[in-house]
Amino acid sequence: MAETELIQKLKEALKEKAREIVSPAPRRIFIFINQQDLLEVIRTLKTTWGATHLSTITGVDKQESFELLYHLANAEASITVRLLIPRNHPHVQSICEVIPGAILYEREIQDMFGIVVDGIPDPRPLLLSDDWPKGEYPLRKDWKFERPPEKIPGGK
Amino acid sequence: MEGAEFKVPIGPQHPALKEPLSLRMTLEGEVIKDAEIRLGYNHRGIEKLAEQKTFIQNIYLMERICGICSHSHTTCFVQGVEKLMGIEPARRGLFLRTLVAELERVHSHLLWMGVVGHEAGFDTFFMYTWRDREVVMDILEIISGNRVHYAINTFGGVRRDIDELQRQKILGLLDQLKKRTEYYFNIGVTEPTFVARIAGVGKLPQEKAIALCAVGPTLRASDVPRDVRKDDPYAVYEEIPFEVCTANTCDVLGRFVVRVKELYQSYQIIEYLLKNLPPGPVNVRAPRRVKEGEVVSRYEAPRGENIHYIKSNGTDKPERVKVRAPTLGNYPATVEMLKNGFVADIPLIFASIDPCICCAERLIELVDAKNGKSQIVQASVLRALGKETLRSKSISPAQAKEIWQQAFRNKGIKQWL
Repeated sequence: MAETELIQKLKEALKEKAREIVSPAPRRIFIFINQQDLLEVIRTLKTTWGATHLSTITGVDKQESFELLYHLANAEASITVRLLIPRNHPHVQSICEVIPGAILYEREIQDMFGIVVDGIPDPRPLLLSDDWPKGEYPLRKDWKFERPPEKIPGGK
Repeated sequence: MEGAEFKVPIGPQHPALKEPLSLRMTLEGEVIKDAEIRLGYNHRGIEKLAEQKTFIQNIYLMERICGICSHSHTTCFVQGVEKLMGIEPARRGLFLRTLVAELERVHSHLLWMGVVGHEAGFDTFFMYTWRDREVVMDILEIISGNRVHYAINTFGGVRRDIDELQRQKILGLLDQLKKRTEYYFNIGVTEPTFVARIAGVGKLPQEKAIALCAVGPTLRASDVPRDVRKDDPYAVYEEIPFEVCTANTCDVLGRFVVRVKELYQSYQIIEYLLKNLPPGPVNVRAPRRVKEGEVVSRYEAPRGENIHYIKSNGTDKPERVKVRAPTLGNYPATVEMLKNGFVADIPLIFASIDPCICCAERLIELVDAKNGKSQIVQASVLRALGKETLRSKSISPAQAKEIWQQAFRNKGIKQWL
């Protein structure tokens, strides 16, 4: 089976950096890593396995922490690198120096979850408007939308 | 003022752009030195909304992400959720799902060819391709009953079946499309003025395309043979014979060639699907609640790789749905294409990645210019009205020639008389 071979190969390449490697479906691999190893792991995957394509970065709010999933792909399979970030100190390293195409996804994560991406080449907001209130992150589970009362210009 | 740089804002509302998007161009004379993209003018909060709706409701929400590749998003979502549910969709349903997917690709590519013709100043081409796109729209209407949001996908298969008569009709219409596409290929690649306008514009070298994670025809036009249908086959693509189309010119011409080649491939796939359509039911029963789990679903939309990440928590609502449409993946590459190009190339380069543009409804609201009254008219009524007007005016070809000759005379243009 191709997946077991690939897992073996990845285990050899990543050694103790990969806390867990599983393949729940054909051509799908999930690697669980520590937060500080992110840049190293992405670089290793790119050089040893040819994962040059980053499909996207998904953020998931897990109450006490945030989960980030980096969906990488090559012609063989889709590898998802998973890491957890503590909610009280939401910082993650930028991977733009390895994969320059990650820039928009990192900006999106900053906007939507309030996770600070350290070393990002362009930290400006991407999706939210310029007058968006500080400290409001729409994709966090505790964020609820409340329509502000309508103000009529010139009205009472 | 030599060497001075100017910053010119283009958008969010601009006649040359078809959707709200802000581009900040740094210009030196007429040459673009840098470009910045600012999004969010059309942000609808669909990912947040999806967390509050049930899985069944979400199929229809996903359909509304895009007007042109509506089927792409539902298929991507549905096939992911089917994996989470642990059900095997009906085989005939998968064939029909793929059939609609390929028809959607044909209609999207024909639309794109027209837009590029229009942006390059070749409006006749635009009219031709969009007329033939109507044939595809009619086929899609035969299958699903709808022209834009087909609403054909459901968990476990599709919602509607086709019969023998419809199958024969689609095959007949397909022959018509094939002939037309051949004609376009010849025009698009041999017409010297058109080729001169699109060749060498919007260069995206191969290594840049890979580094910036471009997707779809944009990536394949830079000579990277990457296609989710081949790399990560879903539905029934594993058994369908087709080729991944590439070009090596890395410019708008290459993107044109890739898309025309893909049209041929799509016709082949559609024929294969219709000729090998298996008998049986079109869907299987799906549970309402979804087991806890997560799935990464990938799909090759007309514009490129579409990826959905779905996480379920055991209820009838998803915990998280992440959607990445292909256009977002192509934005960093677009900035690269714009660099060192001319201001006049902005619409053409921008159109070359096929940015997502919403489709029109089938109902048209007509406003009477004289009294401002509006009226809703069906497309079929409009078509009949157009034909009748022409007939009532009974203009013969000779009379038409007389009209344009008179117009040229009035303007003092002699060389075409």
